[in-house]
Amino acid sequence: MNTTQSSSQRDFVVLAVRTPQKDTEGQGSPSVSRGAGNSLEYLDVEWVTEHARQVSRMLPGGMSVIGVFLVTPPELSKEAQNTLRRLIFAVDKHISKGRLWSLTEEDVTEKVTLHICSKTRKVVCRTYDVRDPKSSAKPADWKYQSGVCTSWPLLTCSVGLNLVFPVLEMHVLPQDMEKCMKEGLQTWAKQIEDGLCLINGDAMPGEVELLGGQKKNAKAVQQTFRAQILIPMAEPQSERRLTATVKVCSGSLTLKGMVQCRAYLHSNKPRAKHATEVIKRDVINTVSSRVEMFLEDLLMEGEDKGSVGVQQVLPRRVFAPVPGMSLCVCDYMFPDECVSDVSDRLKEMLDWETPEDSIDTSQEAVPEAPTIDLKNTVVQKNLKAKSTLDARPKTPSEDPTEAHKSHKTYYAGVAMAAAIALLATGTSLIYLSD
Amino acid sequence: MVVGNIILRLRGSLEFKCQLDSTDVPHVQKVISRTFEALGSQVKAESLVLSLSSSPVFLWPNKGGHATAGEISPNRPCKDLQQLIQTDDQESSRKKSAKKDKKNPTAGIINLTLMTEVTEPGVLSAPTLLRGSKKHHLLQTTLPMDCVVSVLSSESISVVCGTLVGALCSQLGDMEKVALRHMKGTALLIPQPFHFLLPAPVGLVTVVYPAGVPDSQLETRRKELHSLFELPDDRPYLRRANALHFPDEPYKDGYLRNPHVHLNLPALENGKPYLVQGVYSYHHYMQDRVDDNGWGCAYRSLQTICSWFQQQGYVERAVPSHKEIQQALVEVGDKQGSFLGSRQWIGSIEVAAVLDQLLGVTSKIMFVSQGSELASKGRELANHFLSEGTPIMIGGGVLAHTILGVAWSETTGQIRYLILDPHYTGAEDLQVITDKGWCGWKGPEFWDQNAYYNLCLPQRPKTI
Repeated sequence: MNTTQSSSQRDFVVLAVRTPQKDTEGQGSPSVSRGAGNSLEYLDVEWVTEHARQVSRMLPGGMSVIGVFLVTPPELSKEAQNTLRRLIFAVDKHISKGRLWSLTEEDVTEKVTLHICSKTRKVVCRTYDVRDPKSSAKPADWKYQSGVCTSWPLLTCSVGLNLVFPVLEMHVLPQDMEKCMKEGLQTWAKQIEDGLCLINGDAMPGEVELLGGQKKNAKAVQQTFRAQILIPMAEPQSERRLTATVKVCSGSLTLKGMVQCRAYLHSNKPRAKHATEVIKRDVINTVSSRVEMFLEDLLMEGEDKGSVGVQQVLPRRVFAPVPGMSLCVCDYMFPDECVSDVSDRLKEMLDWETPEDSIDTSQEAVPEAPTIDLKNTVVQKNLKAKSTLDARPKTPSEDPTEAHKSHKTYYAGVAMAAAIALLATGTSLIYLSD
Repeated sequence: MVVGNIILRLRGSLEFKCQLDSTDVPHVQKVISRTFEALGSQVKAESLVLSLSSSPVFLWPNKGGHATAGEISPNRPCKDLQQLIQTDDQESSRKKSAKKDKKNPTAGIINLTLMTEVTEPGVLSAPTLLRGSKKHHLLQTTLPMDCVVSVLSSESISVVCGTLVGALCSQLGDMEKVALRHMKGTALLIPQPFHFLLPAPVGLVTVVYPAGVPDSQLETRRKELHSLFELPDDRPYLRRANALHFPDEPYKDGYLRNPHVHLNLPALENGKPYLVQGVYSYHHYMQDRVDDNGWGCAYRSLQTICSWFQQQGYVERAVPSHKEIQQALVEVGDKQGSFLGSRQWIGSIEVAAVLDQLLGVTSKIMFVSQGSELASKGRELANHFLSEGTPIMIGGGVLAHTILGVAWSETTGQIRYLILDPHYTGAEDLQVITDKGWCGWKGPEFWDQNAYYNLCLPQRPKTI
């Protein structure tokens, strides 16, 4: 699929990543799959949408998955259009699930579908408005440009969290943990969305151009802006209330710590309004993503009674540069993972090699071992070592690689229908034949 | 201009949230106190931000008063903040506000709101999730912080910021005391701040009262405060209704308050004005969708008087309608049942009866057999305004009016009456009302020289 920045007339595709191939039980070899289907019927839509969701988690603010592409032999070209349409709606729906911020009227909801014929190299580009399930395809021009994002400004901030979510009496942990957290996070997300954003210490009116005063064609160095988010300390209560509300709770969930946030902006006259929007969305996304990941992981592991009363570390954010560009993508590292795991994931999801030392794990520090836990925990300051903060007691016989794999909700394997292609950013089109 | 004082008002909500593991009193009190202590730390944190209302300026009071706008540095005088406030309709309100500045010491307030910067974290490590499994009661509310400080306009911003944070902390302390004093089990009454402008030298004070507890039950507290501020013990100063009304907050009910303050005093040789004390609302014909044109003047004068007792804090009931007034008269036996719904006039005696029945207020009745005699009542009226300061209802001939004051010269005997006329049928237009004399100073010729008049002089109950 394509990941990019959107504007109402132009989308910039910065990455096109192919969906990894799926493992079909027992029948691994590609040769089998080639023969099996000259039909897109067997294309696993769920697989593609899940890949899209994983990739969108890896994108900092200002970037999103905006489309899908398909490379097929010419005889499947027509069917490809229908498939693309199905895919684009499904992908958008899956990605928007669990999103804690709302689209505004100015958000572009046109998503891109791209079909490339493996024989003629012909490119057909269309867009669909995913807000309208009945929308029809609109033609679009597909152009190559080089050096587009070398000077995209970057916004950064680090947001402190100190949220306490009550677990009402009627709820039971851990089944209802997701519900409790979602409700609490929804309120928090609204506060962030409604909050005020200062850029480089200034409260600018929305229409102000951030790069005002710069020469248009100057080969600008990537500018970094510091964002600050201000919110009211609390929402005022209804005037009619006379007493504090009392809720009987069976427990509580405390989310504490700092998240590092980033967002990129179009270099084409970015306005303060757009900037505040993208950074706020990144703040909300990064928190909700890692909570989601944590909960997914917990679901897979099953409930462990030892984790109550202990601070469990949520996955922390690390950044990796995109080859050939001054952009970064991000990933989340669980406490017992190391940089090589991140590197593996980047290869799998985004299909590029990342040298381990280029992965920046320093933005979010590893929390100290909690003092609440009655068991002995060892403080691990070494970022690379397998951390013992994971509350699950590890037996020596446990295979470490198994433990790593269990955190991944991804699947590896061989796909079936579509052929393989790789679209490099910028100048040329490279094909790998099947 | 003389370097005077500036008033800064800081408002906002603080989240009050605490977990009660048990409901026994000592534990509850301990937890409540600890929660207030934590709020105190929050207020002193570097992440606290004050937003200057109607401006793009933000201040970080716990970072030495650092501000967003470049022109404002922490050692500038705080009056510079006023210039940064953008007001909407400066044109139309200039005329009114000029007059208000003279009469109202709280004009030109700087309003600030409480905010927090989420991008100013104290903790630096990646997020953790802690699951607590203890059963507990979760107490949650927001505290309506409202601090007012009066500082020299030449005081630096950084010092003023410190003063404001100090005011917040001290208000939290007051709120804690009130919360603990009135707590019952797990029911925490929300502490609410009220501001009062007390007579010099005390000035502006803020008192915290628990929500839902009526003034009648807070007398002990008021007694303590009256003694603390050396206030007379026979009239209310600290009831909720006495709270200071800030000029930038319009009254929501639509009635005009004290239109007489916009008038020039009559110039009498050796004359002194004796005016109504406190605040009243102007009630007149055609208000409240009641067409009482031609018969309701005494009712309206009575409503004005009732509004005075309500706004001085003597009563909590709303100003009575024509129906309620008539009902009261039937109840005391002054009128027959057929009176209800009629358009019959009432006089001073009925006014006094209703004040007694509905408000528990007693009145003195003054009788003059001829209108011309009113010219000689200067001393009596002056004394009334000095000691009671309540509006007077005067009825005679076929008309009823409200007397809000007299200007009287002891030496020459010259007299003028400040009259509020209930016969006005127009809209709440201050300009028209003052220009056309619906509220205005009249001479003794205003009265029908041959008619007899009854005056109802309401007496202040001796209470705080």
